[in-house]
Amino acid sequence: METHIPEYMLSAFAAEGIDTSKLIYATHTDSADKDWYSDVYIAVSSDNMYILYGEEKVVKTTGARRIVAVYDAKELEIHPLPELGELTCERLLSTARLCSGKDDKTSILLVFSIGYLSDIERLIKVIQNIREGKKPLGDILIDEELFCPKCGTRYPEPERKLCPKCMDKVSITRRLIGFFVHYRSKVAVIFLAMLAGSVFSMISPLIGTKFFFDEVLIEGGSYYGAILQAVCLIFIVRAIGVALNIFYSYVLAKTVPWIVQDLKLKIFEAMQRLSVGFYTSKRTGSLMNRINQDANNIYWFFVDGLPYVIVNVFTFTGVIILMCMLNIKLALICLLVLPITIIFFRILWSVFRHFHHKNWVYNSQLNSMLSDSVNGQRVIKAFAREDAEAKRFAEVGAKQAVVDIHAMNTSSTAFPLIYLFMFLGQVIITGIGGNMVLEGEITLGTLLTFIAYLSMLYGPLEFMSWVSNWWARCVDSAQRVFEIIDAKPDIAEPDEPVILDRIRGNIELKGVKFEYDPATPVLKGLDLSVMAGQMLGIVGKTGAGKSTMANLIARLYDVDEGSITIDGVNVKQLSLTQLRQSIGIVSQDIYLFIGTIADNIRYARPKASIEDVIKAAKAASAHEFIMALPDAYETKVGAGGQDLSGGEKQRLSIARTILQDPDILILDEATAAMDTETEASIQKALYDLQRDRTTIAIAHRLSTLRDADSLAVISDGKVVESGTHKELMQKKGEYHKLYTIQLEGLKVINMDA
Amino acid sequence: MEKAIQKEAPSLAYAIDIGMIDLKNAEFYMTTGGFTGLKYSGQDYNRITLRRAFPIGNPMEYISVADKDNKEIGMIRSLSDLSEKQYSIVLTELEKRYYSPTVYEVKSVKDKLGYVYMELLIGRDDSKYKKNCALKDVSKNIRMLDDDRLIITDVDGNRYIIQSLSGLDKKSFKRLEPYLF
Repeated sequence: METHIPEYMLSAFAAEGIDTSKLIYATHTDSADKDWYSDVYIAVSSDNMYILYGEEKVVKTTGARRIVAVYDAKELEIHPLPELGELTCERLLSTARLCSGKDDKTSILLVFSIGYLSDIERLIKVIQNIREGKKPLGDILIDEELFCPKCGTRYPEPERKLCPKCMDKVSITRRLIGFFVHYRSKVAVIFLAMLAGSVFSMISPLIGTKFFFDEVLIEGGSYYGAILQAVCLIFIVRAIGVALNIFYSYVLAKTVPWIVQDLKLKIFEAMQRLSVGFYTSKRTGSLMNRINQDANNIYWFFVDGLPYVIVNVFTFTGVIILMCMLNIKLALICLLVLPITIIFFRILWSVFRHFHHKNWVYNSQLNSMLSDSVNGQRVIKAFAREDAEAKRFAEVGAKQAVVDIHAMNTSSTAFPLIYLFMFLGQVIITGIGGNMVLEGEITLGTLLTFIAYLSMLYGPLEFMSWVSNWWARCVDSAQRVFEIIDAKPDIAEPDEPVILDRIRGNIELKGVKFEYDPATPVLKGLDLSVMAGQMLGIVGKTGAGKSTMANLIARLYDVDEGSITIDGVNVKQLSLTQLRQSIGIVSQDIYLFIGTIADNIRYARPKASIEDVIKAAKAASAHEFIMALPDAYETKVGAGGQDLSGGEKQRLSIARTILQDPDILILDEATAAMDTETEASIQKALYDLQRDRTTIAIAHRLSTLRDADSLAVISDGKVVESGTHKELMQKKGEYHKLYTIQLEGLKVINMDA
Repeated sequence: MEKAIQKEAPSLAYAIDIGMIDLKNAEFYMTTGGFTGLKYSGQDYNRITLRRAFPIGNPMEYISVADKDNKEIGMIRSLSDLSEKQYSIVLTELEKRYYSPTVYEVKSVKDKLGYVYMELLIGRDDSKYKKNCALKDVSKNIRMLDDDRLIITDVDGNRYIIQSLSGLDKKSFKRLEPYLF
């Protein structure tokens, strides 16, 4: 029989006298209800469940493995399976409890950290399989896939299979360089021009100093007295170097913007692919920061930083070789100073990276606050909270200023000290070299060339001191950018998507469980079905999970457990494009894009004719208010455009859906923001729209659902009642209660339900 | 704006009753199955849920007591109003729900691709152990409770609490500092 018991648990159970040959499955958890922290091992055999409480300890030993983990067992509980009854997991907040039994006879077996919930749920499935005589591990996912095979780190999101720990800076840089591959010929030209420019810079002191002093100015030199020719040669060498620099800068400036454009496009495309869940987990400010600031950081590094890195690394190496060729003794003294300088730079690098990260965090926070303040201006003004908001902004701004001050203070103290240290090296070389000239060991030309080279050597090092900080910023930005590019959408198109000839609209939800955040389930096993062409009304209190259900049908999120089928096909197998094109959602959350009213109406069908747009607007009772606007259908809406009321926006959203002509219509509080008169006219439009198509209508106002073929009442993530209006009224349950309350409420204000 | 008319905050007491539990007529008890029950106003609720209204700022006051269908029975204004025995039962139940081991040391913090990996030394005073955890969206999951306390929530939903930031060793604090908002 297939078993799954980690080796270390086997020995722990064996030490307690348990026959481990009978064990089938074991898992590790902890206990939150003991006075001491305990590592809990739970094992099951076909007869019993064993819960072993104890403590894992790391012990030093001798031999090849110098540390080993030992288990100090403290308590063992044995629960015969037949006596356990039904096993369930109950989520609390940061803990969950494993319970056995039913109703009043339920008892708690164990309270554990919420992180182990999936492990315990898996254990329950194994026990269920044993009881039902199935293969115990038949459909159990053993969790190797949850961990990175390279380093064993748990994937933050198992479906992404992306281990942030194994992703290092070198690979990030390599990936960034990968963006240059498409432009390889231009990059090769730039690279060659840079290197040639560096060569001319390097030979410049040889000609301008050594050659000039030793061969032109000194009697007996090969070109003694040929000053004009020598000066011309010095100028030509320099001029060729400058010309090469201008050339590569020109080609570079023409290439890099396209590379950054590629990068921005890749980020933008990746963002379109990602599911809604990604956007709700990131602050908008942080996202905007990513696209703009991060891409710009990368841009400037590649335009201004990297070319000089290449030039300086090449110059640095070349100069050292030339120095060794001129005089090995002086060159070695120079090289003694270098490692100390490099250590200084490395320390500075880590300090600046720390400051930069903090600065980024505060900046992103300020951006979020800014967008919060812009979007919430009405509320801010209505509650007279302008000063409080300004104070909040000032607090974060002050924190950022403190970080900047620290960074600047560090920079203004550390760098002059490093320069002084570098100058000290130069003074020592001048002293020793001067002595060597006096003793006739080297010529004056050689010493002066050496000093010139020394300054050329410190130049690249000095450059590296600030470019390292810059590189850190670029890698930091690239790291965040790649997070978006690499993020695998939670909702992915299946490998072989099912494309139906026609979606008829039979929808079935079976045991659907879903949560946005761990440990806070929204749907807890929802069962529901609606026949093609029928209208299902969904009723329930706020937060019952009604809108979540609509999002799941449209596959904006995926169910955690259970299934949703359309015409008998699981939505996870259906082509995403067909699914989304077949479902029209009119929700409370309306978004109008920057553009004209007509553009917004024809968002789902960009090629729709003007007549169709007007028809859709008329059907949605939007035509009248649109015509009252000065630019009518060409009125600009969205950010910075015409300010429309909630009801007007909702009517545009309905018009958009009418034009989409979906097979399945989801109305999520579609008329909530309208006055009664408009609602009545919209209801007619919606009634026409619903004809012969499956409709799921979610509404608080029960009067709007009276015509539904069937109704379902959702409470606490489950369907608690279903049937027609008449049946539910006769049942006198939850629906009857809600209906009566609303009716009474409306009677007070003389309205009819 | 600063000098806007300062009105005394109106009290809603005349219109709304919070529904405080009359503790003289209430008896919390442990069921044989390990749940917490309540006998109150002639009714026996054999499985209640206790929730803190202000779990961060005011964890010992305003505790909501709900029945097994999640309907609120009432609120406890302050745990200190309970007798010693009753206090112990209620607190044990709350501690199980809001289980958050204390962080004693932050051994390492690594920021990789937007996820933060932490190695923490957590537990209780007499029993400390190392725990590796991964955090997503740090701005939401590393949260200052007040000027000195901090709560960390990992990708699994586990919560860890730092009781005193100023009491942490220098290295631990430095590792956490970039993430403190």
